[in-house]
Amino acid sequence: MTQPLKVLLIDDEIDFVETTGKRLIRRGYLAKTALTCAAGLEIITSGWPEVVVLDVMLPDRDGMDCLREIKEKWPTLPVIMLTGHASMETGLHGLECGASDYCLKPIDLETLVEKIAIAHRESRPRGA
Amino acid sequence: MTFFVDRLTSFFHGKPRLTPAELQAAFRGHYKEFRALLTANNNALELMAEMEQALGPGHPFGMTFVRGNCTALSVNIYKMIQHLTRLADGRYAELDQPFRAITKQLEQVIASRSVSTEGTTILAMNEVDASTVDQVGEKMANLGEVRNRVGLRTPDGFVITASAARKFIEANDLQVEINRRLKGLDLDNLEALYTVSAGIQSLISTAPLPAELEEAILAHHRQLETGSETELLVALRSSALGEDSSNVSFAGQYRTQLNVSREFVGQAYKEIVAGKYKSQAIVYRQQRGFRHQDVQMCVGCLHMVDGAVSGVMYSRAPDDPRSPFVIIQAAPGLASTVVDGSAASEQFRVSRTAPHAILHRQAATAQSQSLTEAQAAELGAIGVRLEEHFGTPQDVEWSIDQAGLLYILQSRPLGRPASVEPQEPDEHSTTADSLPSPLLRGGVCASRGVGSGPVFTVRSSLDLLRFPKGAVLVIETPYPDWASLLNRAVAVVSETGQMAAHLATVAREFGIPAIFGMNQALATLKNGSLVTVDATAGKVYAGRVEPLLALAAPKPNLMAGSPVYKILTEALVHITPLNLTDPTSPFFRPEACQTLHDLTRFCHEKAVVEMFTFGERYGFNDKAAKQLVVENSPAQWWVIDLDDGFTPDFNPESRYVHLGHITSVPMQAIWQGMMAFPWGGPPPVSLGGLGSIIFQSTRNPSLDPAVRSAMAAKNYFLISKNFCNLSVRLGYHFALVEANLGEFLTENYVSFQFKGGAADQNRRLLRIRLISEILSEFGFRVEQKVDAMTARIEKKPGPYLLERLRVLGYLLIHTRQIDMVMADEGMAASYQQKIMADLHTLMDTPTEG
Repeated sequence: MTQPLKVLLIDDEIDFVETTGKRLIRRGYLAKTALTCAAGLEIITSGWPEVVVLDVMLPDRDGMDCLREIKEKWPTLPVIMLTGHASMETGLHGLECGASDYCLKPIDLETLVEKIAIAHRESRPRGA
Repeated sequence: MTFFVDRLTSFFHGKPRLTPAELQAAFRGHYKEFRALLTANNNALELMAEMEQALGPGHPFGMTFVRGNCTALSVNIYKMIQHLTRLADGRYAELDQPFRAITKQLEQVIASRSVSTEGTTILAMNEVDASTVDQVGEKMANLGEVRNRVGLRTPDGFVITASAARKFIEANDLQVEINRRLKGLDLDNLEALYTVSAGIQSLISTAPLPAELEEAILAHHRQLETGSETELLVALRSSALGEDSSNVSFAGQYRTQLNVSREFVGQAYKEIVAGKYKSQAIVYRQQRGFRHQDVQMCVGCLHMVDGAVSGVMYSRAPDDPRSPFVIIQAAPGLASTVVDGSAASEQFRVSRTAPHAILHRQAATAQSQSLTEAQAAELGAIGVRLEEHFGTPQDVEWSIDQAGLLYILQSRPLGRPASVEPQEPDEHSTTADSLPSPLLRGGVCASRGVGSGPVFTVRSSLDLLRFPKGAVLVIETPYPDWASLLNRAVAVVSETGQMAAHLATVAREFGIPAIFGMNQALATLKNGSLVTVDATAGKVYAGRVEPLLALAAPKPNLMAGSPVYKILTEALVHITPLNLTDPTSPFFRPEACQTLHDLTRFCHEKAVVEMFTFGERYGFNDKAAKQLVVENSPAQWWVIDLDDGFTPDFNPESRYVHLGHITSVPMQAIWQGMMAFPWGGPPPVSLGGLGSIIFQSTRNPSLDPAVRSAMAAKNYFLISKNFCNLSVRLGYHFALVEANLGEFLTENYVSFQFKGGAADQNRRLLRIRLISEILSEFGFRVEQKVDAMTARIEKKPGPYLLERLRVLGYLLIHTRQIDMVMADEGMAASYQQKIMADLHTLMDTPTEG
């Protein structure tokens, strides 16, 4: 039996994080949500999440900045960037900063779930 | 060639000395990179196909689609380069240069239009069209299309853009305060909702406009006034940006202010911007998950038309998308009186075909007719024209001024009728009484439209292969597998199923009419008999019913030639052309990559080579490739295990491997296909055929085995449990089959490349066409370039892909001799029949493993 994957959603769109969180839990994942970068960092500091889904725009901080801090302190923690505003520049910049993937809203749950699982698998020292 | 370069590089890097355990770990690390690269490749190729398809008919798209796909594409290719660089221990970093160059060009293409308007606070109506939608909102973008692309008269004026609204809110630092007030708002508490809504609106409408913006508005207003003798009055119309525009029910929620004089323009503008926080709008956005700050109020400021008679027009009856008439509502005065229902209006039905005669007139009171025949005809023609331009029935606001000039004030998609149930026989329809009585009626309309052709019943995958182009597909259950037939079918009738079935979605996408849940379809509709399917009405008729076919809705072709279409076309120039086709060419180099497709091709090829030469670079190559023990095979086969492709009990020291030791699911499927039918040796060859082969062989150096890379000289399987890459050289054919069947659909694919072959150009082309046709029938996306072809399927479930792998295995073995006998098209057809018969049998073979 594998442990359910722990996913942290950092996004200030309350509706989005709440529904996505609930639906992930229904899929057998463990999900926590944070509306700000600071709240997200707090949860990450506790060592809880295995995968982070991070919005590019956050109220308290630039999402890219938030990503940079996460990857600096927890370089192996996979972070998937999510945004409603596609931009090649931020997309590539996000990957350069160590993001595992960069996806666009709206994203269907099926796709997001696969991206989370793949990001998690690729982050482990030896692939399954 | 590549081999030589690789060797040189590893020589300079020095061969690493590793222990066996370290070697194993290094190898698995490399394999992980390889697999991630393949997934990114899979995503990238799918995105490219999606963008190319968007240029075809029936796929409306906006800049969001273009920008989103370009972003996703460049992200995936960036990943491919990263994975390849790690896979190759740091080499190929120079790919970054062409990658940066191409993405920079792409960015310029995407920005080409929006850069000019980005930050602009005001755009004149002459500058507005669909491409400026991100600045002017949907409503004004449509009006700009009517004015500048359809060429109809619309009021002069300008749009105060999304940037202007953003600047206004930012200058007063309002967003934080607005969000604070909205936070935790209970939508069910109406009193609180109204209080908050009113508070925010007053916050906005009492804030001062930035001086710069106010001056700009007044300057444009002055310009508009030039030449006008009387005082200029304008209408200010809201044009929201960022909301789901397909939701017509929400239209009209925002404010329009009429007859605004110069001194009140600023205030009227602020009030319309404030209207974004009307209580209904707040509720709507929160329920639908839109962020308030992502929705912007763009405002059109338009010359008031002094309407003598005004009204609305529907290019079709709202409850009947194929009505042969336009409906016009007219009333004296301004158009708003008709829209809000305050004036008694007169209704006209005007024929959609020239000379657009009035078919019917209905007035609430005994008033005199408000429109002349000529005016009604002009309006009717415009309704049809606008529907053609926008590709969907339109709801148009119009006004005829005192001088008799007709102005279009607005054009937007006509709301769909609330009912999606199949329509009952429409007695009012002008065509209803002239139709024969149907063979079948009922079911649900899964996809609208009318289609006619011979019936072809499909009961199993065997029938799938025989399905003729232009037939009516008749099935019992709408299995997703039948989707591959939809580009050949003219209509679908299924005994079971409903609107939400996957096949229904695909049918709508292809614009193929479909009726599901039609009882007795299989029993009533005889194979080969000609029928007409009216999916909109839920009826099937015998024979061709011309009046119905004539009514079939026009296929929307809105995008062609539009600015967004042009941008996508220009973007694709940097994306899809493939210049790096031949890995053995000296131009197969990073600096030769001109498109994103080139980069994917290069990365993929080099990644395979890296995996292949890993053993060599790390010093255990002589043991890596195992020879497959097989009987009665026309060739030798070698297998390299990348990870978990052999059973644990396999002795790694052995030089041979038996099929029983191979755990690779895709390899087993290919092998089954290859061995399902005995290879009978080359068929009898006519003298011309043989002569042609010898002639080609002596003068085409690329057919000389010594010139080919070492890798292609033998037949190699690179495998893991879920993965297989097979490079084949059989006779004069070069083929590459690659497949991954992982735990996630995102990673699943089968790809096939085929090139070369003896015999002359004509025969090779016939053979490629034959293979292309067969693979298309099996749902492959096939691309053909002279005598080389690639075929791909992505993101399908495992069993589906295994079936395709068996087909490829079969084709690998059995087409090698075909071109020799392809003297003419007749031979090709008979070969196709033989192959199809074999494949039918093969499809019935259960999958092993």
